[in-house]
Amino acid sequence: MTRKAGPKAGKTLFWLLLALPAIGMISGLARDTVLAMDLLHPSGETAIRLMILAMLPGPLADFFGPSRFLRGWLAIRRNLGVAAFAYALLHLAFYIIDMRLPAAMLGELGLPGIWTGWLALLMMIPPAAISMDRAMRALGRKWKTVQRIVYAALLVALAHWLLLDREWQPAAIHLTPLIVAWSLRLAARFGRRKERALS
Amino acid sequence: MKLAGRILSLAAAAAALALAASPAHADGNVKCDSGPSSSWQPMDKLKKKIWMQDWQLLKSQVEGDCYEVYARTADGMSIEAFFHPVTLEKLVVFRRGKEIYRKPGFGG
Repeated sequence: MTRKAGPKAGKTLFWLLLALPAIGMISGLARDTVLAMDLLHPSGETAIRLMILAMLPGPLADFFGPSRFLRGWLAIRRNLGVAAFAYALLHLAFYIIDMRLPAAMLGELGLPGIWTGWLALLMMIPPAAISMDRAMRALGRKWKTVQRIVYAALLVALAHWLLLDREWQPAAIHLTPLIVAWSLRLAARFGRRKERALS
Repeated sequence: MKLAGRILSLAAAAAALALAASPAHADGNVKCDSGPSSSWQPMDKLKKKIWMQDWQLLKSQVEGDCYEVYARTADGMSIEAFFHPVTLEKLVVFRRGKEIYRKPGFGG
């Protein structure tokens, strides 16, 4: 009984931890201490951070091998991805609250800073929709292919951020760990190929 | 893999297109060259000016050496505008990161 409760309690606690920033944002809005427009940045940034956190352990495990820490990180990768999508939806909700009128939203749909946000969100839907175990089993190898759309979504989301922020540094800083991890993965693959060629 | 590769290429093209379509972005912060804050006009005066312009003020603050205003125009556009703190002149207006107004001759 306790064996089963352990991981379940851990998972609940982990989800609660992931939800904490959202709780803070929503309660601020409900108490009228913050404007919806002020929550656009933190909710979008949290979505991107979670996306990056979900994308890091794969390449790092490729390079460093399956350590206990990385195995644990890989195990929660899907949760991080789903949480990223949830924060992207929250970001959209704050945008809708801020804009108030559908006509106003439609009016700015053609602006690059806006359509990139919609596109990034749309791209996150297929990977998020098949995040459950059942879909993973049913899709087999195709599951991973669909998950790779996240790379494209991140690219467009970063363009969205750059366009709205007028400063490239924050977006670039967020991309740096991924570039390092991908470089390490490439180095590991190149090393393995070289080893095979020599043996 | 092919599908993911295609989507990634399309996304890269979309991101590049969006960034290329908005060259004004690389600007970073607006600089008003407004001198010491002791010579600035009070923010309330700017708020009145905004109200007279028929904008709905959402938020106003000091950003660097400028007054920055977030507002909704009479036709519902969400905008971010920079004003000179001494002259209270409108210098630059952005709409979702895209520059839609710049005072002629202003290069800050």
